[in-house]
Parts: sequence; C-alpha cells; structure tokens
Amino acid sequence: MNALLRLEGLTAGYGGAVAVDGVSLAVAPGETVALLGANGAGKSTLMKAVLGLVPSRGTVMIAGTDATRLPTHRRASLGLGYVPEGRRVFPGMSVHDTLDAAGPSSGTERRAAMERVYALFPDLRTKAGDTAWRLSGGQQQMLAIARALMGSPRLLLLDEPSLGLSPRLSSDVFAAVSAIAATGTAVLLADQSTARALSVAGRAILLRQGRILYDGSSAHVTPDRLTAAFLGAP
Amino acid sequence: MLAQLVLNGAALGAAYALVALGFVLVLNAAGAVNFAHGDLVMAGGMLGAVLGSAAAEAFGPVPGVVLLPLVLLFMAALGVLVAAVAYLPLRRKPPVAVFVSTIAVGIMLQNGANTLLGGEPRAAPPLLSGGSLTLWNGVTAPEQSLAVIAAAAVLIGLQVWVFGHTHVGRRLRAAAQDPDMARACGIPVTRMVLATFAIGSAYAGAAGLLLANQYFVTPHAGGDLILKAYIAVTVGGWGSVPGAVLGALLIAAFEVGVSAALSYPAAQGALYVTLLLMLVLRPQGLLGEAARRRA
Repeated sequence: MNALLRLEGLTAGYGGAVAVDGVSLAVAPGETVALLGANGAGKSTLMKAVLGLVPSRGTVMIAGTDATRLPTHRRASLGLGYVPEGRRVFPGMSVHDTLDAAGPSSGTERRAAMERVYALFPDLRTKAGDTAWRLSGGQQQMLAIARALMGSPRLLLLDEPSLGLSPRLSSDVFAAVSAIAATGTAVLLADQSTARALSVAGRAILLRQGRILYDGSSAHVTPDRLTAAFLGAP
Repeated sequence: MLAQLVLNGAALGAAYALVALGFVLVLNAAGAVNFAHGDLVMAGGMLGAVLGSAAAEAFGPVPGVVLLPLVLLFMAALGVLVAAVAYLPLRRKPPVAVFVSTIAVGIMLQNGANTLLGGEPRAAPPLLSGGSLTLWNGVTAPEQSLAVIAAAAVLIGLQVWVFGHTHVGRRLRAAAQDPDMARACGIPVTRMVLATFAIGSAYAGAAGLLLANQYFVTPHAGGDLILKAYIAVTVGGWGSVPGAVLGALLIAAFEVGVSAALSYPAAQGALYVTLLLMLVLRPQGLLGEAARRRA
C-alpha cells in the first residue's frame, strides 16, 4: 500500500509512563479511519506522537518521507492537519487572523484556502473579525478544523472533535468531517461517540492500553470487540 | 509651562513605551521574563553615543535619526544572539532557568560596557538638530521631545501594523499564544521566537538611543529601566501589548507630573504605591483579562 502515514513500532508517553506501545499502522490516501478506545487508551498521544509533540520511539513516515527526526512544523508541512482535543484556538486572535496564520506563505494560495474553508463553514465568514475566545464551543470547533485545513492537508488528524458539543453541533461536526473526507482528504478520527465515528469511517482501529486490538473494516467492529477495547476482555 | 510639561512627559512616555513594548513582545513569545531587557536599552544608548561620537569625528555632527537604523539593526542581531544563548537552550526548563540566564546576560552587558567604554555618563546625539520650535502663541518646544514622540509613534505604529496586518505578524502572534499548536499548523516557532527577540531588542535599542540624549546613559542604567518595563506591563496588564504602552505612558506622566509638583523621589514613591494599589485592587492590570493566563 502507498501509505500517506506509516507508523512502525511507535512507542510514546510522558516521563516513564508509556501511553502508546509499539503501534504499527498505515493510513492510505483518501481513507477515513476511526481510532477508538477508552480514555487513556493512547489515542491522543498517538496523534501527538505522529506530529512530534511528545517524545517517541519508532518510525513515522509521512507521504513517503521519514519524518521521525523532523520537527513538528516540518511534519505538518508534509501534509498533516491537526485538530486537537479541546480545540486550542489561538484565544486572542480573530477568526480571519487565525486562518491567515495557519495558511501558506503565498498570498494567492492563502486567499484560495480561506475561500475553501469559508465555503465549508459559512458561519466563520460572518465571524471573521471576532476574537476566537468569544466564539461558541461549536464555532471554536469549526475554527479549529478550518485552521487545520488551511494548510491543505492530505491527512487530517481529528482528536475528539465532538467533545463537549450539543448533539446538534456534534452532528454538524460529523457532517463537516464527511464533507472533508469526500474531497479526498484522509482522516484519522478519534472520538468517544463510537457509533458516529464508525458511521463516517470505512476502517476502524481499536486501541487498548496503547496497543492495537483490532485494525480492519468498520463493518466488522462488533459489540464484543468494542467491549474488549473499552472494558477489557471479558 | 504646562504645555512644556505635557510634552516632556509624552516624550519620556514614548521612549518608555518602546522599552515596555519590546519587553512584552519577548515575554509573550518566550513565556519568560527577559531580565536583560533593561541592559539592552542601555546597550542601544551606548551604541548610539559611540556611533554619534565616531561619526562626529569623521564627518561632523550626525543627527540621531541617521544612526537609528544602524542601532535597530545591530540591536536586532544582539537580540538574536541573546535568544540563541540565553533562551533557546533553556526553553524546556522551568522559567527560572531563563530568569537566571537573562540576568547573567544583563550583567555581561553591563560589565562589557563598563570595560569597553568606562563608567562615565554618555549622551547620544539628538534625533534632529536639538534646537527648539515655536509652536503657537510663543510656546516653544524642544525639537528633541517632538522627534522622540514622532520616532516612537512610527516604531509603535510599525509594530501594530506588522503584528495586526501581515502574515508574518499573525504567525508571530500565533507562535506566542500557543507554540505547540502553532508548530502543528506548520509555523516555524523557533524562527518566530528569534524574530521576536530581534524586534524586542531593536526596540529596546531604539529607546536607549532616544533616552540617551536627554537623560544620558551609564553601564548600570539598565536596572532602573527593566523595573520601569516590569511596572508598565504589570499596570497595563501582564502580556497585554496595548497595556504595556499605556502603562509606560502612565509611568512617564507620574515621573514628570509628580516630580514637577513635588520632587523626583516623591514621584518614585507615588509610583510604587500606585503599583501596590493596582496589584491589590486590579491584579490583572488596566487592560488585562481576569483569571486568564495569556501566552
């Protein structure tokens, strides 16, 4: 497989605690993959390790380039977009300034990217001058996704995008994820809303205690497998 | 008399505003206080004085405005050096490590200036001619005060424009607000931090040049200036860029106004009392946000 992201024996953690333990996986171009597991299973740490935001061992290949020793901004430039848990919008910056900062250096390309994300999230256009911390939770989530899309990523890492949102806003977020996936952007999606994540992903990876329990079609994620991932083997 | 006083206060406030602006930009970008900042102001003043003397010997008197670009460039390079030596190797350590390393850099700058140039006060050339202008109804104003206000306004305006209206400026702000998230957006944060140190140091140097004509400069002048910057940022709101400028203007108004009415020591005392009151009554400062840590 010509993988967009390939991890080989990735181990990551904090201090002495191992959160991701020897994970190997690959994500193909255009694929949508749900990364599922209980709190503390290693989903967020895995995404951070892909970006180089936490210390890790193992190999990270992004778009065919060995990114293991590259700093975070160079890994992102290889085609990664990241939407972190808790959104982490730049609090004192306006919507427009946030998107501009995250966009490419070329003014023409940046304006084109901004038009694309405004087309996907029309509400953001009307809030362009508003400071990020004044936005509602749903709007902040849209801004976090839009910010990640400004670099025209080939793989979007989405960490708990529906966390803390109302059911209606959560639906909007998943609709946006589907729309992004439909453009051919690969998506690696971690979310506690298991059913929704599986509904937009063709493939699922179940993590437990930093290790992969299952990697295969979403259609074959049975309640028993989910129970094993979330609660441990009966 | 009153107009003269206001003008003097505004000129002093403009120079202090540059000091505080450079201080707060680095504070936001590095997440730590650069205790060498006052000594960078001193270095800018010394550089202005030395360049002014050298130029005067070679070509006759040269106005400070000609030296200003040279001071900005040299001090920007010095700022990059300070960041490379005293900040980047320690940025993953607790903030106290950067406190100590920047204090050490400050001491090196003081002793370096003392060794190379001696301890006597030096003056930089005036920005323009150093004469007086008649404004209206016979009111005269020192040209230097007006030039200081104009130069500081241009530099502050440039900072506001770059940070608010350019792609690089927005990246600098993003890197200061959340470095890891900025990295994840493809922003080279280390380069942004170096650029911010360069800008902060250049503005410190410019302030040094502006102050060193009227108030002279000695190798140990930095201690007082870092204190002024610290107070300005505390009064204005920790991390707030407009707050730092406002705080600096208020400090200058205090110094000039209370000094004229009472005495300079009384002005200093009143300043610290006001600072204490501010910390008790409005700890977030005038333009700061309550209970929210800024980057």
